[in-house]
Amino acid sequence: MNRKRLEKVETFLFTMPAAILVSVMIYIPFVMSAVYSLTEWNGISKAVTFIGIENFKTIFLESKQFLNVLIFTGKYTALFMILSNVLALVLAVVLVKKIKTANILRGVFFVPYIMSMTIVGFIWKFIFSQGFARLFEISEWGLLNLSWLGNGDLAFYSVVFVGVWQQLGFYIVLYIAGLQAVPEDVLEAATVDGASKVKRFFRITLPLLGPSITICLFMSLTNGLKVFDIILALTKGGPGGATYSATLDIYREAFQYNNYGIGSAKALIFFVIILILTQLVLGFSRRNEVEL
Amino acid sequence: MQKKRYEMILLELFIIGIAVIYIYPVFLMGINSVKTFREVVIDVIALPNKITFENYSYVIDKMNYGRLFINNIIITVIGIAGIVAFSSLAAYILDRRRNRYTRLAQLFIITPMLIPFQTFMITLLKVMNVINLSGSRVGLGIQYWGFGIPMATFIYLNFMRTIPKEIDESAFIDGASTFQTFFRVIFPVLKPVTVTVIVLDVMWIWNDFLLPLLMVNNSDKTKTLVLAAYNFVGQYNTQWHYAMTAMVLAVLPSIVFFILLQKYIVKGVVAGSIKG
Repeated sequence: MNRKRLEKVETFLFTMPAAILVSVMIYIPFVMSAVYSLTEWNGISKAVTFIGIENFKTIFLESKQFLNVLIFTGKYTALFMILSNVLALVLAVVLVKKIKTANILRGVFFVPYIMSMTIVGFIWKFIFSQGFARLFEISEWGLLNLSWLGNGDLAFYSVVFVGVWQQLGFYIVLYIAGLQAVPEDVLEAATVDGASKVKRFFRITLPLLGPSITICLFMSLTNGLKVFDIILALTKGGPGGATYSATLDIYREAFQYNNYGIGSAKALIFFVIILILTQLVLGFSRRNEVEL
Repeated sequence: MQKKRYEMILLELFIIGIAVIYIYPVFLMGINSVKTFREVVIDVIALPNKITFENYSYVIDKMNYGRLFINNIIITVIGIAGIVAFSSLAAYILDRRRNRYTRLAQLFIITPMLIPFQTFMITLLKVMNVINLSGSRVGLGIQYWGFGIPMATFIYLNFMRTIPKEIDESAFIDGASTFQTFFRVIFPVLKPVTVTVIVLDVMWIWNDFLLPLLMVNNSDKTKTLVLAAYNFVGQYNTQWHYAMTAMVLAVLPSIVFFILLQKYIVKGVVAGSIKG
């Protein structure tokens, strides 16, 4: 075998395992989803009936259910993105200061992120039901006596709150990494020029954080849209469907109601929405990035 | 200067206060897991009068914890081994041989990072049934290869670019084959990234919930810790002392892992999220 031929074979051999695995686990099921979205299929029987775009018609025309689910997911994601990014940035700014306990505190905020989201959901279910009741007895603070998981409007905020609580540490770490990369000398030069603290933050630090902000917005967007475990553990979509997320709906449609065709169609719609939103957010935040 | 120091101390106290409130739910889970049922019912907030580990022996026995722990280890080890092996191999050649084919292969292998699991999980189950990878620990571990490879290859690729080509050229001149060069020279140099990949993927696979929920049946032989804890808490939802204990047992390994490898985890999170 000549050298060139050997190189070709090697390139093939080194990349093939990865390419095959990705194909089998991701590409093939993904393409199949598109195919099954055009069929009526209960997941068990061999009989798969081709029905064209009937599933999509059902989803959009016959019931508002999926629309409501998408609206919840959108609202959840928007609030989740705002809260987790603002809070993480504020905490990161404090935690990069020369505080003696900074390292321990960074670890503390990161702990919920390393725990399984399912468990996090259960911990908070316990606190919302048992913990709040007891705290109310002690403090008589009316806010604690509200039905945080039983009332539809409140349950929305509870779910967002727990989602932010679980993930905040992750965004803090990313913002800290970004803040540490902001060059000292630029900030010092601005101080010498008489720029106030607030001005330095908004005019120098924040623009230079552009790449970190892009990553955090992107990650919080996709994580928000995909919310599943926390909701399943905390409210199971209730009360009365008030916290029913898109992923939970896709899961139930297929695996509990055995409508695999409609489930696949919903999954496909969901994918297109994610694709569009992520491209919009990436495009938007990249345009606003500043290079030094 | 004096005023500034004052401000810093106040700020520090303030942030410590926030951190304490922040972590309080985890603490609450811990103290209620060592209380008796009576004590939990009377006051969930109070510290235990007497620390009891009876909950633990009951739950460990009832959950078949040892077995589940072994399941998790097997699944995680299989998952990680494949991800590391196949991703590093691919990234090496994708970086060193740049031509039309490798550019295409790179795109093909890395793009799935952007496809959310939930959008293809329905048909994934069908595919895994056909090739017989569902319903077993080994099968579950293997499935993580496909989902972990895109991100891991991406991280390896970023690092490969910083390794000078002269290193493999000198090995090549000494008569080593490409595979030997990779194995003896490149892979050891990749060690810091390998640690990053391992740490990131251990956290992910160990705590994953949806894939085990879909892929392994509910017997102790195959299910994972988190899945078992989910079922257990659902079943014992009025006996909070047992539920809390099950939850502590499910998160304890992650917390120990985090404390031991904190430095690498933080580095890994940052490396893993560099945009493409």
